[in-house]
Amino acid sequence: MLSVAQVEARYGAIVALRDVSLTVEEGELVALVGSNGAGKSTTLAVVAGLHRPTGGTVNFEGTSLVGRAPEDVARLGISLVPENRGIFPTLTVAENLRLGAYLRRDGAAAVRQDLDGLFERFPVLGQRRDQQAGTLSGGEQQQLAIARALVGKPRLLMLDEPSLGLAPTLVDRVFELVGELHRSGVTILLVEQNVRRTLEVADRAYLLRTGRMEASGRPSDLRALVDIESVYLGGGPTTSTADAGPG
Amino acid sequence: MGSLLTGVAILIRGHRQLLILIVPIAIFAVVTQLVGGTLLGRIAIAFFINLMVVLSLQIFTGNSGLLSFAHVGFMGIGAYVSAVLTMTPEAKAFAIPDLYPALVPVTLPFIPAVLIGGLVAAVVAAVVTFPIMRLREAASVISTFALLVIIQVILAHWHELTNGPRSLFGLQPYTDLPTAALWGVIFIVVAWVFRHSSIGLRLRASQDSEPAALTIGVNVVRLRWIAFIVSAFIAGFAGGLWAHFVTTFSPRAFYLIETFVAVTMLIVGGPRTVSGAVIGTVIVTAAFQGLRTIENQINLERLLPFQVVGVTEILLAVVLIVVLTVRPGGLIEEREIFSGPGGPLGPDADSAAKAPP
Repeated sequence: MLSVAQVEARYGAIVALRDVSLTVEEGELVALVGSNGAGKSTTLAVVAGLHRPTGGTVNFEGTSLVGRAPEDVARLGISLVPENRGIFPTLTVAENLRLGAYLRRDGAAAVRQDLDGLFERFPVLGQRRDQQAGTLSGGEQQQLAIARALVGKPRLLMLDEPSLGLAPTLVDRVFELVGELHRSGVTILLVEQNVRRTLEVADRAYLLRTGRMEASGRPSDLRALVDIESVYLGGGPTTSTADAGPG
Repeated sequence: MGSLLTGVAILIRGHRQLLILIVPIAIFAVVTQLVGGTLLGRIAIAFFINLMVVLSLQIFTGNSGLLSFAHVGFMGIGAYVSAVLTMTPEAKAFAIPDLYPALVPVTLPFIPAVLIGGLVAAVVAAVVTFPIMRLREAASVISTFALLVIIQVILAHWHELTNGPRSLFGLQPYTDLPTAALWGVIFIVVAWVFRHSSIGLRLRASQDSEPAALTIGVNVVRLRWIAFIVSAFIAGFAGGLWAHFVTTFSPRAFYLIETFVAVTMLIVGGPRTVSGAVIGTVIVTAAFQGLRTIENQINLERLLPFQVVGVTEILLAVVLIVVLTVRPGGLIEEREIFSGPGGPLGPDADSAAKAPP
């Protein structure tokens, strides 16, 4: 479905990605893990059309994505939930969700039905539908960001650090949700620093380190490697902000 | 089409707030028309024309988040185009001796001429603004300012259309209070529908976060361009009404002071909301007229040993600075007036919790 091959990306003189390749098949939950600054967010930005690679190819169902504007990539059915959640704080919850649906062409009735379904899945969003999204708590905002992506019925959902900055119980909730979405058939590319939890839900995983693909395979294959990694990285979620990625 | 329907649907649901904006203004217009004198009548007409200019600014600035200094220039385009279209051949022979011969015999009725003035402004905007819609923040503001300068210079030197820098005179005073008030109200509704339409919503989203808007498929540049064209039409239309209100004007009328007043009205009221645009226009008009009256009285009664000049403008500038410092979002910040509670503690709580943009 998605195939990224030998991608190189730079920020000025700094090479953020070199020779990065990965694939995502329909219905899969693929994880991209690695520490801060490994290039995870950059990889998603390249796919989403937010950052133009200096080399390599990106194909989605046979269509090349390189050089496409982000709005065109979105139109192909690729939805990115960015690291900072990317909600629209001054708009209401309902308006945020309406924006997620506006690319759909299957009619207002279908959208409304899906919205009702989402309000069931995220009751807090239903209660706060007329509230400005910026007044929601971090966990609620994350739910809104995911819900907004889902209203658009994406063919591929890309989540960038959905658990970042959330309280532990909310982190559990986010991973539960990602698992639920996966089981309901949504194709997901998940970027996370919370490696342990991510490997529990993923079908396959890639490990990025300083812009290179270090390893890939089944979560069980990667786990041993990651354990060694986390030893010399200090383990756990780091607080460093040295990420070379955008935002 | 879909955006239009959504807009109308929202309008019907949100019509109570819209009525709160329109009814007092309509009552003011009716009362002034029935019992007000000439002076109040003229203030009221000027108010409604300013309101249209501020609403046109709101449609672009309020939704896209980009401030424009160019709109008064588009007002000027509408003023000159409509003037050339309504004036009689005799009046044109006097007032614009160099006018293109083909345009001399053309005499259109008032409103069609004003509409064409708006359309010409919109077409000019469509052609010249596309390249600058990619810009952000300071670059964007400065480029609209450059546009204002360009329009000003062209108006002042296109002798075959504007009579150059000299005054254009001989227009018929077609713009009466009912006309100005009716169109003022119409454009309140237009701005309201635009804000709540799919285009308005997507633009406001891009204002909150441009990258996020792009990743959900919003073509930000194109939508800004559409908003600019719509707003240039309204500015041009307002210019046509204004031309047939003052009946004598020169290109200087569409320059810095007018831009300053319109921008002040919008910023004081709150650029992000239609209510803000309306309330800002009301407050600044009232303040302007009040201060002018006081200034004139001081000079007339010789209360001070010297003549007071320009205090009104200075005080307005101070008010603008104070608003930007204390309440940068304007009086009505992010949600339309009487929108109900915006957060767990009501609308004040959520605006207080917001970092300034």
